[in-house]
Amino acid sequence: MSGDGSGGGGGNGNGDGLAARRGVDDAVVYQPAEDSGLLAEAAVAEAHGCVLEVGTGSGWVAERIAEERGLDVVGTDLNPHAARQARERGVEAVVADLLSPFRADAFDTVCFNPPYLPTDPDNEWDDWMEHALSGGESGRELIEPFLADVGRALAPDGVVLLLVSSLTGYDEVLDLVDEAGFAAEPVVEESFPFETLTVLALRRA
Amino acid sequence: MKESLMDVICCPLDKAPLELDVDDEDDEEVLAGTLTCTECGETYPIEDGIPNLLPPDMREEAAA
Repeated sequence: MSGDGSGGGGGNGNGDGLAARRGVDDAVVYQPAEDSGLLAEAAVAEAHGCVLEVGTGSGWVAERIAEERGLDVVGTDLNPHAARQARERGVEAVVADLLSPFRADAFDTVCFNPPYLPTDPDNEWDDWMEHALSGGESGRELIEPFLADVGRALAPDGVVLLLVSSLTGYDEVLDLVDEAGFAAEPVVEESFPFETLTVLALRRA
Repeated sequence: MKESLMDVICCPLDKAPLELDVDDEDDEEVLAGTLTCTECGETYPIEDGIPNLLPPDMREEAAA
């Protein structure tokens, strides 16, 4: 995740044409980066059954899973511009807040690359790109409600693939995973100059 | 959205089943319509093939 926040833009999409709208979408939708590549690698290896990607952004990870595994993938995002981009990639897109509009036991695989950068509350940008990057003061403000609810939407033998950055606090996330009743196993891990990224596979403990 | 999505979605407020009203569709999917909660009656729009299942208070906020 390259969180310099410069790509935010005002995003006041008044363009009528598809091209203009797509330009606006690109400016306000998180585009694939190292973290996306790592989540896709893990998800292609581990996914089974009916798949949900929460916070799908551009839809790139969801598309990879659908193409390389031939699975049905639903992608959600809070950001309607992101949902539109995901749909253009052929992903079944839904505008949603985390897992709130999904039924109990609906998915066999749930993937999430959360907004995870710890952000000073005085320094928030309050636009779509901030929503895509910022995990609040702790970096875990989206991970907490996600873990608290994912067990409901996950089928009994389901797996959760969660991307965790060292910037977010690896041990703190493991504690939350434990509280939610899951056991965590690292699937892929990669170190970068400022952070180590790990994709954890969570299964019911 | 494909009609098969109805098997996995529910009302974000009370998790009750939704009812689908189709305004426009092609061979594969629903392009426009309304999803109505069978319990609380809240409605959720489907526009350009994408259902917006945000709770009503978040939908207002996200309209920008």
